[in-house]
Amino acid sequence: MRKTDTTGEYAIPNVETRGASRADELPMDSDAFAGFYQRSAPGLRAYLTRVSGNHALADDLMQESYLRFLCATCPEGGEVNYRRYLYRIATNLLRDHWRRPRAACIEDVPEQFLAARDGLSHIDSQALLDPAMARMRPRERQILWLAHAEGYSHREIAEITGLSAAGIRLLLFRARRKIARLLRKQIDAGRQA
Amino acid sequence: MTFRTCSFEKEIVQALKDGHWPEGCGAELRAHVDSCVKCGDLVLVTETFQRARNESERAAPSGSPSLLWWRAQLRRRNAATERVVLPITMAQTFAWLVLGLVGVAFVVSQYRHGVQWASWWSEFVPSHALHVLVSGTGQVGWSSVLLIFGFGVLALLSGLVVYLVSDKS
Repeated sequence: MRKTDTTGEYAIPNVETRGASRADELPMDSDAFAGFYQRSAPGLRAYLTRVSGNHALADDLMQESYLRFLCATCPEGGEVNYRRYLYRIATNLLRDHWRRPRAACIEDVPEQFLAARDGLSHIDSQALLDPAMARMRPRERQILWLAHAEGYSHREIAEITGLSAAGIRLLLFRARRKIARLLRKQIDAGRQA
Repeated sequence: MTFRTCSFEKEIVQALKDGHWPEGCGAELRAHVDSCVKCGDLVLVTETFQRARNESERAAPSGSPSLLWWRAQLRRRNAATERVVLPITMAQTFAWLVLGLVGVAFVVSQYRHGVQWASWWSEFVPSHALHVLVSGTGQVGWSSVLLIFGFGVLALLSGLVVYLVSDKS
């Protein structure tokens, strides 16, 4: 898949640099990237939206993730590895976002704001999941989404997040128990209402 | 907190992943999930997340792949340009630094040798300096002119060497 665009449709005159890669040498050509984007973007956007709780931020981070993915030297092994690498970039971007001054930290955003701002509560599962997710820590949200929505193994989540597989196992166990308790509470509250 | 895995966990995870839960699973497994808190949590959480993912995926992602691809190309090009410009800037800075040091060293050395600054400067007006260079008969000797010229060349060569070294690295 590693080839340069020869169509010239998107070509920019490149700068020759001795010993460095050519300026237009991207990991894949525009058509291959368009296909990869169509297949991977919905999932990545869902991940970023659910973990950040903010559609606008998720869109920004998604675009930046793809840009960094294209500018980086991608791992070998085809689309499965590309996708994992993309999630790793997105996870690092989320972490960088949370490391910024506390005024912009997701931890400070009130739960009601998270639910109302994005208008996510119009669908049942979202209405059930959003309040519970808002009460989880960012790292827990990431791990839960990667494990249960994306179906990644502990080892794969460890690669994406940079934590150890044993640590993921324990964190996931705790996070799952916590969110299950919150979900059950909401289900019970819904039944009573 | 006790951290033990249930023996049915792998089977349930696989059934959930393949979309076989609950219709494609046996009565024994379903009964186990009803009675086991851990497996109940696993099913509840996985089903909720999978539904949420499917619903989120229906929303069309914003942004055009061709635009992203073009922006990535532009970013790469900018990075390549920066890689080229950096050694030049470094060499330029280094050359100025060397030139400054040489100038200071020259002034200090001349001062120690007891040059009469007032008379030296009055004779070193540009027109006179030109005359010195052309005719070679001025009071400022060839040695000083050559010294200044040599230091200038040294500064330029130093900059060039730094450029070549940093460009190579």
